[in-house]
Amino acid sequence: MKWLKKLSLAAIASAFLLSATLTGSAGAKDELKGKITVNGSTALLPLTLQAAKEFQKLHPKVKIAASGKGSVTGPQAVKKGIADIGACDWDASEDVPGFKKFEGQVANKVAVIPFATIVNKSVKVDNLTTEQLKGIYSGKITNWKDVGGDDKDIVVITRSFGSGTRVNYQAKALGGGDIVKKEKNYKEVGSSGDMKTAVATTPNSIGYIDLTYISGDDIKAVKHNGVEATVENVISGKYKIWSYGYYMTKGQPTGETKAFIEYVQSKKFQEGSLKKLKFIPISAMK
Amino acid sequence: MNISAHKAAREAGAELHPRHRWNLTSRSARARVVNWLFKYYFLFSILALCLVLAMVIFFIGKTAMLTFQEVTLAEFFFSFDWTPEEGRFGAALFIVNTLSLTVLTLIIAVPLSLGMAILIAEIAPAWLKKFVSPLLDLLVGIPSIVYGYLGLTVLLPLLRELSGEGLGDGLLAAALVLTVMILPTISRISEDAISAVPRKYRDASYALGATRLQTTFKVVLPAAGRGIVAAIILGMTRAIGETMAVVMVIGNTPQLAKSLFAPTSVLTSNIVMQISNVDFDSTWNYSLHLMAFLLLLISFVLILIIRIIGRKGGA
Repeated sequence: MKWLKKLSLAAIASAFLLSATLTGSAGAKDELKGKITVNGSTALLPLTLQAAKEFQKLHPKVKIAASGKGSVTGPQAVKKGIADIGACDWDASEDVPGFKKFEGQVANKVAVIPFATIVNKSVKVDNLTTEQLKGIYSGKITNWKDVGGDDKDIVVITRSFGSGTRVNYQAKALGGGDIVKKEKNYKEVGSSGDMKTAVATTPNSIGYIDLTYISGDDIKAVKHNGVEATVENVISGKYKIWSYGYYMTKGQPTGETKAFIEYVQSKKFQEGSLKKLKFIPISAMK
Repeated sequence: MNISAHKAAREAGAELHPRHRWNLTSRSARARVVNWLFKYYFLFSILALCLVLAMVIFFIGKTAMLTFQEVTLAEFFFSFDWTPEEGRFGAALFIVNTLSLTVLTLIIAVPLSLGMAILIAEIAPAWLKKFVSPLLDLLVGIPSIVYGYLGLTVLLPLLRELSGEGLGDGLLAAALVLTVMILPTISRISEDAISAVPRKYRDASYALGATRLQTTFKVVLPAAGRGIVAAIILGMTRAIGETMAVVMVIGNTPQLAKSLFAPTSVLTSNIVMQISNVDFDSTWNYSLHLMAFLLLLISFVLILIIRIIGRKGGA
């Protein structure tokens, strides 16, 4: 239910901001105006929404519309001209397994996104190795007792093909292993929010999500190879499951789009709101 | 107003004061213009509707046909292997699943909603009628995502408990959610059809000594047959095209549903899960369009079949 609340809060917030923009409440003199459309990754969506809120306060004449569906939607929307910024969890200007590169697009690093393996609170296991995860996601391990838990069937929940979370998770947590389970305990969901709801409501389930979404006590993050999924462990290099989040633009960004990306990359935002959302500043990674 | 009435009015007008006559002719002229306008307005509306429909079919069909540049007809319709990321586009499993889901939904929903319709129209006292009918109208207005969410958070845990399965997603969960969604549609429209059966039929039946059961099933229901068939058609088209609620409880795994509790996928849920994640100019995208086109055709054919059955049974 939490994500629903979050969603409605975000909707109300953006509606409020929009009306504030329309009436032009802020008095600051400002030449920047226009509309920025952001589309793509749901993992980056909380960051984009927060940045949009702050940016619009500074530049009331700029309207930002953000929506999330799946990472590959981002660069695709930019390619089609539907969006100015395509949020993507991988560098879409390069080839990655499963996806061709998008010609002529520039990848602007905006954040470091840690991902974590999550399980339903009914699961007793709190550490999984790469090999165990590989076994679970490829369908070789189907019972929690094989990885040190209760004698219960494992319910695997995964994101659909095209999700950036899935691309990164597969590459880093599963060591490139396949997700090819088509049996009775396998379910696909369409977004990070759906993933959270599904894992929270399904006993004995396992899934993966970015760290930002983990809150409350109905899901818990498990350790990976004995390392806890925390911001500190990512920065120190102990925890490997993370990736840069990118804002893809058609060529170098210009005008208000450039200003917005620069705001997101600015020290003020990176060290402030971005950290609070459990993302990691890009400058923290060496 | 027919021609002779116009004529009579004109003749009468000739006798009257010029001012009155002017008034009358202007009145009939105005009537003629208004009639003309209305006729063409309605004609235009129908044509606009046909145009939109034709365009939908044409554009989806056009994109859909591009699939066959790389995929053979036989593979698409008869292969059960849907692995688009590796270039295998077998949509047969979605077609079979969609049909099974629709049939399963109708098997659950039709008896229930007909029972409700008969209760409201024939048996219930006035106060109950006044209570149930608006309630059903209210149910029709609830957005499907709400049903989906309730299915996800209320129905699925219940099904897990009952079946002992780990997940509970599957055809049964989807069919139950759809049943709740189409129940009000079918029962409200059937109820109207049953209520429209003339009272004298029932009186005649009772006069012959029939019981209420006999009267209802042998006289009233056959007489209301066409309306009931129309109600089922409407319910079925909603069930076959419904996406948001289904996608939340069906599991979205591209495999043939071998049991009621196996996570599976139907045409609608697969389209909505994948369409935004694929390249615009790819066979994957085209084949999703082909699936949409197919959905259009399936519902069209089903409607035709039921219309034909309805014509035979209901007359």
